[in-house]
Amino acid sequence: MSDYYAALDLPSLQLHLDLANLEQRFHAASRRLHPDRFARASAAEQQAALDASSVLNDAYRTLRDPLRRAEYALKLAGFNVGEQGNLDVPASLLEEVFEFNLALEEADADEVAAARNRFVALRGEIDARMEELFAAYDAAPKRETLEELRGLLNRRRYVANLISTASGEGIRH
Amino acid sequence: MAYSDKVLDHYNHPRNVGALDKKDPNVGTGMVGAPECGDVMKLQIKVNPDTGVIEDAKFKTFGCGSAIASSSLATEWLKGKSVDQALAIKNTDIVTELALPPVKIHCSVLAEDAIKAAIDDYKTKSSATAQVGASA
Repeated sequence: MSDYYAALDLPSLQLHLDLANLEQRFHAASRRLHPDRFARASAAEQQAALDASSVLNDAYRTLRDPLRRAEYALKLAGFNVGEQGNLDVPASLLEEVFEFNLALEEADADEVAAARNRFVALRGEIDARMEELFAAYDAAPKRETLEELRGLLNRRRYVANLISTASGEGIRH
Repeated sequence: MAYSDKVLDHYNHPRNVGALDKKDPNVGTGMVGAPECGDVMKLQIKVNPDTGVIEDAKFKTFGCGSAIASSSLATEWLKGKSVDQALAIKNTDIVTELALPPVKIHCSVLAEDAIKAAIDDYKTKSSATAQVGASA
Protein backbone atom coordinates (compact mmCIF):
# COMPACT_ATOMS: atom_id res chain seq x y z
CA MET A 1 0.00 0.00 0.00
CA SER A 2 1.44 3.37 -1.04
CA ASP A 3 1.79 5.87 1.79
CA TYR A 4 -0.63 8.67 1.00
CA TYR A 5 0.52 10.73 3.94
CA ALA A 6 4.12 10.67 2.73
CA ALA A 7 2.98 11.59 -0.80
CA LEU A 8 1.55 14.82 0.58
CA ASP A 9 4.36 15.33 3.09
CA LEU A 10 2.06 14.97 6.08
CA PRO A 11 2.66 13.26 9.42
CA SER A 12 1.51 9.65 9.17
CA LEU A 13 -2.01 8.94 10.47
CA GLN A 14 -2.89 12.59 11.10
CA LEU A 15 -6.68 12.41 11.18
CA HIS A 16 -7.76 16.03 11.18
CA LEU A 17 -6.62 17.84 8.04
CA ASP A 18 -7.19 21.41 6.95
CA LEU A 19 -8.65 21.03 3.46
CA ALA A 20 -7.26 24.32 2.08
CA ASN A 21 -3.78 23.37 3.27
CA LEU A 22 -4.21 19.89 1.81
CA GLU A 23 -5.12 21.36 -1.57
CA GLN A 24 -2.03 23.61 -1.52
CA ARG A 25 0.16 20.62 -0.75
CA PHE A 26 -1.44 18.68 -3.57
CA HIS A 27 -0.86 21.46 -6.12
CA ALA A 28 2.75 21.99 -5.00
CA ALA A 29 3.53 18.29 -5.23
CA SER A 30 1.75 18.04 -8.62
CA ARG A 31 3.95 20.84 -9.97
CA ARG A 32 7.09 19.08 -8.75
CA LEU A 33 6.03 15.92 -10.61
CA HIS A 34 4.75 17.62 -13.78
CA PRO A 35 5.90 15.79 -16.95
CA ASP A 36 7.32 19.08 -18.41
CA ARG A 37 9.94 19.05 -15.69
CA PHE A 38 11.08 15.61 -16.78
CA ALA A 39 11.17 16.27 -20.53
CA ARG A 40 14.92 15.70 -20.68
CA ALA A 41 15.10 13.09 -17.91
CA SER A 42 15.76 9.40 -18.54
CA ALA A 43 12.89 7.08 -19.38
CA ALA A 44 13.17 5.53 -15.91
CA GLU A 45 12.94 8.93 -14.22
CA GLN A 46 9.95 9.92 -16.36
CA GLN A 47 8.20 6.70 -15.40
CA ALA A 48 9.00 7.22 -11.71
CA ALA A 49 7.51 10.73 -11.85
CA LEU A 50 4.41 9.37 -13.58
CA ASP A 51 3.99 6.66 -10.94
CA ALA A 52 4.49 9.14 -8.11
CA SER A 53 1.95 11.44 -9.73
CA SER A 54 -0.62 8.66 -9.86
CA VAL A 55 -0.06 7.88 -6.15
CA LEU A 56 -0.37 11.60 -5.42
CA ASN A 57 -3.76 11.79 -7.12
CA ASP A 58 -5.03 8.78 -5.18
CA ALA A 59 -3.61 10.28 -1.99
CA TYR A 60 -5.43 13.58 -2.48
CA ARG A 61 -8.73 11.91 -3.39
CA THR A 62 -8.51 9.68 -0.31
CA LEU A 63 -7.33 12.20 2.26
CA ARG A 64 -9.62 15.07 1.34
CA ASP A 65 -12.69 12.96 2.19
CA PRO A 66 -12.92 12.51 5.99
CA LEU A 67 -14.57 9.08 5.70
CA ARG A 68 -12.09 7.68 3.21
CA ARG A 69 -9.27 9.26 5.20
CA ALA A 70 -10.47 7.59 8.40
CA GLU A 71 -10.75 4.22 6.66
CA TYR A 72 -7.32 4.62 5.15
CA ALA A 73 -5.75 5.58 8.47
CA LEU A 74 -7.38 2.57 10.14
CA LYS A 75 -5.96 0.31 7.44
CA LEU A 76 -2.50 1.83 7.95
CA ALA A 77 -2.88 1.13 11.66
CA GLY A 78 -3.57 -2.53 10.86
CA PHE A 79 -7.36 -2.64 11.14
CA ASN A 80 -9.40 -4.74 8.74
CA VAL A 81 -11.78 -2.11 7.32
CA GLY A 82 -14.10 -2.01 4.36
CA GLU A 83 -12.98 -5.42 3.24
CA GLN A 84 -14.95 -8.53 2.51
CA GLY A 85 -15.28 -10.77 5.50
CA ASN A 86 -15.15 -8.01 8.08
CA LEU A 87 -18.05 -9.18 10.21
CA ASP A 88 -17.08 -7.58 13.46
CA VAL A 89 -20.30 -5.77 14.33
CA PRO A 90 -21.93 -5.65 17.77
CA ALA A 91 -25.15 -7.68 17.96
CA SER A 92 -27.01 -4.73 19.48
CA LEU A 93 -26.32 -2.60 16.38
CA LEU A 94 -27.56 -5.37 14.08
CA GLU A 95 -30.78 -5.76 16.10
CA GLU A 96 -31.32 -2.01 16.02
CA VAL A 97 -30.74 -1.74 12.26
CA PHE A 98 -32.95 -4.76 11.62
CA GLU A 99 -35.82 -3.31 13.65
CA PHE A 100 -35.47 0.08 11.91
CA ASN A 101 -35.59 -1.56 8.49
CA LEU A 102 -38.61 -3.61 9.49
CA ALA A 103 -40.40 -0.52 10.79
CA LEU A 104 -39.62 1.36 7.56
CA GLU A 105 -41.26 -1.38 5.52
CA GLU A 106 -44.54 -0.92 7.33
CA ALA A 107 -44.42 2.83 7.86
CA ASP A 108 -46.57 5.31 5.93
CA ALA A 109 -45.03 8.19 3.97
CA ASP A 110 -45.09 10.64 6.93
CA GLU A 111 -43.48 8.15 9.27
CA VAL A 112 -40.81 7.36 6.71
CA ALA A 113 -40.08 11.06 6.23
CA ALA A 114 -39.83 11.51 10.02
CA ALA A 115 -37.53 8.50 10.30
CA ARG A 116 -35.37 9.84 7.49
CA ASN A 117 -34.95 13.13 9.37
CA ARG A 118 -33.95 11.23 12.50
CA PHE A 119 -31.36 9.20 10.59
CA VAL A 120 -29.95 12.34 8.97
CA ALA A 121 -29.65 13.92 12.42
CA LEU A 122 -28.00 10.75 13.69
CA ARG A 123 -25.53 10.85 10.81
CA GLY A 124 -24.73 14.46 11.80
CA GLU A 125 -24.06 13.33 15.37
CA ILE A 126 -21.81 10.54 14.12
CA ASP A 127 -19.86 12.97 11.93
CA ALA A 128 -19.44 15.37 14.85
CA ARG A 129 -18.19 12.54 17.07
CA MET A 130 -15.81 11.50 14.30
CA GLU A 131 -14.25 14.97 14.30
CA GLU A 132 -13.86 14.74 18.08
CA LEU A 133 -12.09 11.41 17.72
CA PHE A 134 -9.85 12.84 14.98
CA ALA A 135 -8.77 15.66 17.31
CA ALA A 136 -8.33 13.29 20.27
CA TYR A 137 -6.17 10.91 18.27
CA ASP A 138 -4.00 13.67 16.80
CA ALA A 139 -3.42 15.07 20.27
CA ALA A 140 -2.63 11.67 21.85
CA PRO A 141 -2.54 8.63 19.52
CA LYS A 142 -4.25 5.77 21.33
CA ARG A 143 -5.39 2.49 19.88
CA GLU A 144 -8.70 2.66 21.75
CA THR A 145 -9.54 5.89 19.91
CA LEU A 146 -9.05 4.09 16.59
CA GLU A 147 -11.20 1.22 17.84
CA GLU A 148 -14.01 3.61 18.66
CA LEU A 149 -13.53 5.24 15.26
CA ARG A 150 -13.88 1.93 13.51
CA GLY A 151 -17.10 1.13 15.38
CA LEU A 152 -18.37 4.59 14.46
CA LEU A 153 -17.62 4.06 10.76
CA ASN A 154 -19.54 0.76 10.78
CA ARG A 155 -22.45 2.48 12.45
CA ARG A 156 -22.33 5.33 9.94
CA ARG A 157 -22.53 2.91 7.02
CA TYR A 158 -25.68 1.36 8.44
CA VAL A 159 -27.22 4.77 9.10
CA ALA A 160 -26.35 5.89 5.54
CA ASN A 161 -28.12 2.79 4.20
CA LEU A 162 -31.17 3.50 6.34
CA ILE A 163 -31.25 7.02 4.87
CA SER A 164 -31.16 5.55 1.34
CA THR A 165 -33.96 3.15 2.24
CA ALA A 166 -36.04 5.94 3.80
CA SER A 167 -35.39 8.08 0.71
CA GLY A 168 -37.10 5.42 -1.36
CA GLU A 169 -34.04 4.25 -3.22
CA GLY A 170 -34.55 0.81 -4.66
CA ILE A 171 -32.32 -2.22 -4.95
CA ARG A 172 -28.79 -1.65 -3.73
CA HIS A 173 -25.88 -3.20 -5.57
CA MET B 1 -23.78 -4.87 -12.20
CA ALA B 2 -25.48 -7.78 -13.94
CA TYR B 3 -27.06 -10.36 -11.68
CA SER B 4 -27.29 -14.00 -12.70
CA ASP B 5 -30.73 -15.41 -13.52
CA LYS B 6 -30.70 -17.44 -10.32
CA VAL B 7 -29.96 -14.35 -8.19
CA LEU B 8 -32.77 -12.46 -9.93
CA ASP B 9 -35.15 -15.37 -9.41
CA HIS B 10 -34.45 -15.46 -5.66
CA TYR B 11 -34.55 -11.68 -5.46
CA ASN B 12 -37.89 -11.40 -7.23
CA HIS B 13 -39.38 -14.52 -5.63
CA PRO B 14 -37.60 -14.95 -2.30
CA ARG B 15 -38.33 -18.26 -0.59
CA ASN B 16 -39.19 -18.56 3.08
CA VAL B 17 -39.31 -14.88 3.99
CA GLY B 18 -40.61 -14.36 7.49
CA ALA B 19 -39.96 -15.03 11.12
CA LEU B 20 -40.24 -17.93 13.54
CA ASP B 21 -40.99 -17.58 17.25
CA LYS B 22 -37.68 -16.58 18.78
CA LYS B 23 -38.78 -17.87 22.20
CA ASP B 24 -39.56 -21.38 20.93
CA PRO B 25 -36.81 -23.65 22.41
CA ASN B 26 -36.61 -25.51 19.09
CA VAL B 27 -35.97 -22.33 17.10
CA GLY B 28 -32.45 -21.05 16.52
CA THR B 29 -31.91 -17.45 15.40
CA GLY B 30 -28.86 -16.06 13.65
CA MET B 31 -28.43 -12.33 13.10
CA VAL B 32 -25.37 -11.23 11.15
CA GLY B 33 -24.24 -8.15 9.28
CA ALA B 34 -21.64 -6.91 6.86
CA PRO B 35 -20.54 -3.40 7.73
CA GLU B 36 -18.78 -2.84 4.40
CA CYS B 37 -22.13 -2.74 2.63
CA GLY B 38 -24.47 -2.16 5.57
CA ASP B 39 -26.37 -5.41 5.11
CA VAL B 40 -28.21 -7.16 7.90
CA MET B 41 -29.46 -10.73 7.68
CA LYS B 42 -31.65 -12.72 10.07
CA LEU B 43 -31.98 -16.46 9.53
CA GLN B 44 -33.98 -18.84 11.70
CA ILE B 45 -34.33 -22.60 11.84
CA LYS B 46 -36.88 -24.80 13.61
CA VAL B 47 -35.49 -28.18 14.57
CA ASN B 48 -37.49 -31.28 15.39
CA PRO B 49 -36.06 -32.20 18.83
CA ASP B 50 -36.71 -35.93 18.33
CA THR B 51 -35.13 -36.36 14.90
CA GLY B 52 -32.67 -33.42 14.86
CA VAL B 53 -33.98 -32.50 11.41
CA ILE B 54 -34.56 -28.89 10.40
CA GLU B 55 -38.28 -28.71 9.69
CA ASP B 56 -38.57 -25.07 8.82
CA ALA B 57 -36.31 -22.16 7.96
CA LYS B 58 -37.11 -18.48 7.52
CA PHE B 59 -35.08 -15.40 6.71
CA LYS B 60 -35.35 -11.67 6.41
CA THR B 61 -32.49 -9.75 4.82
CA PHE B 62 -32.06 -6.04 4.29
CA GLY B 63 -29.35 -5.68 1.71
CA CYS B 64 -28.40 -6.11 -1.90
CA GLY B 65 -29.85 -8.67 -4.32
CA SER B 66 -26.99 -11.10 -3.76
CA ALA B 67 -27.42 -11.04 0.01
CA ILE B 68 -31.15 -11.67 -0.33
CA ALA B 69 -30.59 -14.47 -2.86
CA SER B 70 -27.86 -16.09 -0.70
CA SER B 71 -30.09 -16.23 2.36
CA SER B 72 -33.15 -17.30 0.34
CA LEU B 73 -31.16 -20.18 -1.14
CA ALA B 74 -29.76 -21.07 2.29
CA THR B 75 -33.26 -21.52 3.76
CA GLU B 76 -34.22 -23.75 0.80
CA TRP B 77 -31.19 -25.93 1.42
CA LEU B 78 -31.66 -26.06 5.19
CA LYS B 79 -35.12 -27.61 5.18
CA GLY B 80 -34.98 -31.37 5.61
CA LYS B 81 -31.31 -31.42 6.58
CA SER B 82 -29.98 -32.56 9.93
CA VAL B 83 -28.16 -29.96 12.00
CA ASP B 84 -24.82 -31.60 11.16
CA GLN B 85 -25.59 -31.63 7.44
CA ALA B 86 -26.55 -27.96 7.70
CA LEU B 87 -23.19 -27.16 9.27
CA ALA B 88 -21.53 -28.64 6.20
CA ILE B 89 -23.05 -25.99 3.89
CA LYS B 90 -20.20 -23.81 2.67
CA ASN B 91 -20.34 -20.31 1.26
CA THR B 92 -18.57 -21.63 -1.86
CA ASP B 93 -21.61 -23.88 -2.52
CA ILE B 94 -23.77 -20.75 -2.57
CA VAL B 95 -21.29 -18.90 -4.80
CA THR B 96 -21.37 -21.75 -7.30
CA GLU B 97 -25.15 -22.19 -7.26
CA LEU B 98 -25.87 -18.46 -7.70
CA ALA B 99 -22.87 -17.70 -9.94
CA LEU B 100 -21.90 -14.82 -7.65
CA PRO B 101 -19.13 -12.53 -8.92
CA PRO B 102 -16.01 -12.03 -6.72
CA VAL B 103 -17.26 -8.69 -5.32
CA LYS B 104 -20.34 -10.46 -3.95
CA ILE B 105 -18.64 -13.40 -2.30
CA HIS B 106 -19.04 -11.72 1.08
CA CYS B 107 -22.82 -12.08 0.69
CA SER B 108 -22.43 -15.87 0.62
CA VAL B 109 -20.07 -15.67 3.61
CA LEU B 110 -22.78 -13.74 5.42
CA ALA B 111 -25.32 -16.50 4.65
CA GLU B 112 -22.95 -19.21 5.89
CA ASP B 113 -22.32 -17.21 9.07
CA ALA B 114 -26.07 -16.78 9.53
CA ILE B 115 -26.59 -20.57 9.29
CA LYS B 116 -23.84 -21.19 11.85
CA ALA B 117 -25.18 -18.48 14.17
CA ALA B 118 -28.70 -19.94 13.99
CA ILE B 119 -27.40 -23.46 14.76
CA ASP B 120 -25.25 -22.15 17.63
CA ASP B 121 -28.28 -20.41 19.07
CA TYR B 122 -30.40 -23.56 18.75
CA LYS B 123 -27.72 -25.71 20.40
CA THR B 124 -27.27 -23.24 23.25
CA LYS B 125 -31.01 -23.14 23.84
CA SER B 126 -31.56 -26.89 23.59
CA SER B 127 -28.68 -27.74 25.96
CA ALA B 128 -30.08 -25.22 28.47
CA THR B 129 -33.50 -26.87 28.14
CA ALA B 130 -31.93 -30.32 28.58
CA GLN B 131 -30.21 -29.23 31.79
CA VAL B 132 -33.43 -27.82 33.17
CA GLY B 133 -35.11 -31.12 32.27
CA ALA B 134 -32.36 -33.19 33.93
CA SER B 135 -32.43 -31.26 37.18
CA ALA B 136 -36.22 -31.35 37.43
